[in-house]
Amino acid sequence: MSSQRELTLCEAIREAYVEEMRRDERVFMLGISIQAGTFPHTKNLCEEFGTHRVVDTPLAETGMAGCAMGAAQEGLRPILDFMYAGFSYFAGSEVFLQMGQYHFLHGSQHPLPIVMVGTCGVGRRVGNEHATLPYGMAIHHPGIKTCMPATPYDAKGLMKAAIRDDNPVLFLWHTNLMMHKGYVPEEDYVVPLGVADIKREGSDVTILASGLQVHSALKVAEKLKDEISVEVVDARSFEPFDRESLLRSIEKTTRLVIVDEDFERGGFAAEVSAQVMEHGYDLLDAPVRRVCHPNIPVPGGYIDVYTMPTSERIEEAVREVCR
Amino acid sequence: MSLTNDQKIVLFRNLARAMALDRMMMRVIRAGKMVGFYHEGGIALAPGIAAGAFLQKEDPMWPHYRAHGLAHMLSKGIDIKYYVAEHMGREAGCCKGRSSFHMSFPEDHVFGFSGNIGANFPLSVGYGFAAKYKQSGQVVMNCSGDGSYGEGRCHEALLMSANWKLPAVFWCEANGMAQHSNVKDLFPGPNVSSLAAGFGIPSMVVDGQDLFACAEAALQALAHVRQGNGPIFVECKTYRVQEHSVGGVNYEGPNQRDPELMAKWKETLNPLALAAARLLAEKVLTQEDIDQIKADAEREADEVEAFCEASPKALPSVAEMQAAVYTA
Ligand SMILES: Cc1ncc(C[n+]2csc(CCOP(=O)(O)OP(=O)(O)O)c2C)c(N)n1
Ligand SMILES: [Mg+2]
Repeated sequence: MSSQRELTLCEAIREAYVEEMRRDERVFMLGISIQAGTFPHTKNLCEEFGTHRVVDTPLAETGMAGCAMGAAQEGLRPILDFMYAGFSYFAGSEVFLQMGQYHFLHGSQHPLPIVMVGTCGVGRRVGNEHATLPYGMAIHHPGIKTCMPATPYDAKGLMKAAIRDDNPVLFLWHTNLMMHKGYVPEEDYVVPLGVADIKREGSDVTILASGLQVHSALKVAEKLKDEISVEVVDARSFEPFDRESLLRSIEKTTRLVIVDEDFERGGFAAEVSAQVMEHGYDLLDAPVRRVCHPNIPVPGGYIDVYTMPTSERIEEAVREVCR
Repeated sequence: MSLTNDQKIVLFRNLARAMALDRMMMRVIRAGKMVGFYHEGGIALAPGIAAGAFLQKEDPMWPHYRAHGLAHMLSKGIDIKYYVAEHMGREAGCCKGRSSFHMSFPEDHVFGFSGNIGANFPLSVGYGFAAKYKQSGQVVMNCSGDGSYGEGRCHEALLMSANWKLPAVFWCEANGMAQHSNVKDLFPGPNVSSLAAGFGIPSMVVDGQDLFACAEAALQALAHVRQGNGPIFVECKTYRVQEHSVGGVNYEGPNQRDPELMAKWKETLNPLALAAARLLAEKVLTQEDIDQIKADAEREADEVEAFCEASPKALPSVAEMQAAVYTA
């Protein structure tokens, strides 16, 4: 059955939407200009599901997020589309303080099944709001699950998991991967949240990456294959995070480079690095190295090629830990 | 309030300049020489010219991002080439090539921009607050589209400005569209400016294709706020005859926009042509004068492009940028 059918990452997300919206009438979508398909992942969804399930809103991120939360409390399962993930900051209170924390604070009686989506990522020369990757912010706040696929296969499977999850899930993708093509099965499958994936096996050093950076890491692994055997672990999900798989990889390789396109300070890479110190110190033969965005605002102009983690910077870090 | 002939000529010249620059920006982005995106102004630039025309240097202004504020800024007297250089990622850029599309002319009280639409509203409250606090007599020109009035912060800003009687003009360039949605599907009523009434803010609706009507409205609005009457809301009705953002789709909801209607608007509602006809009829300018103004505008646009291309691409090192995050 599983022919090598290829879809773009956007098409894979769209397919997950279509299948889940057919399966569950409570699923609906809310966003700015999603009916027209600002991005291809919502293209023509109205045709099948109508404008009452694919809902255009005014420019009103705070209102959209609160609406999703209220609708979820009343039993619906919203998919809240922020277009660019940076626009979600206008709904900071709803996203970071309320959606994730309400359940616990109200006696864990009433879960909030909400999927929030947004594109993000450095390297499009637009800077700041159109680039910022909010997963570091999200993992800092208890109660929100967060993931970011690197392949169309993972995108469809993770999106299905996110929609079926009874908790708020922030589902991000990198703008530069929207048109990235890859194999996607036609059948129903789920990629569970909290399960990392070894995208390439190796024995000398582990690179932990996610999203676009998985592809940069794979490039480095291929380039160095005759010198250094690189294992590429795709985190896929930041919270829950699959520490066990990472520790198993480090047990084999004894070295770790973490690639994280978000700001270096206080981010996902810092968190993983601390967890590895606490739970895997004895496995390491070299200090953990991070390759992140420097602690400066994501610039526009031609500069972002210097600030985003590149294959060159990753290679340098790999060589350093393998010295 | 009526305009002098000299004022009309300046307005006309500036609209010709803005429209020539808008076309130049389109050439530049199509040639792959611009960084970031561009939102074409097309026939919607008369309100921007009017908004900037009667401000003093020290009056804070937030330009609407259509045509990326070129009309507003040049009308306020800002040398636009440093903004265009920014958009081409050059060292001569007004943000040192770090921003792609932000303006930064603090001496002209145009402090910046944000990719998050609606960010301007609370800032304008701050400009107005500071003006009152300092008793400086400054007035605030807060320009935006009609779509941006969805954001809650716009309503907060209207409330605070009304409460505090701030000297602020809420200048709305209402093209009836917000990205790929028709504003009539997003807002219950024909005029976004009807919001003002709830806050006790006076408002007016103006033909945004009529440069001189826009300018008269600006004069009237500025007189209102300068006299200490608190904020005022001006809604200029205009049109979007192209896609939202260069290269994107041109839909409203699930449907394609009507190309014939847009073509008709473009043909019949060009504000420069309408203004030229008025100036000819009133014998303020001759056809030769008008042709000269248009030719000068094209030349200026070419010169701006050449200036930007002559400036090196801004590629500061990470260390340099790290040193620039905080001030000493
Ligand atoms: C907070 C935020 N939400 C959404 C967007 C995406 N966006 C950019 S412009 C725009 C439409 C704005 O419409 P309007 O204010 O009417 O200006 P117009 O383009 O019509 O001139 C949208 C939705 C954004 N940039 N920021
Ligand atoms: Mg509009």
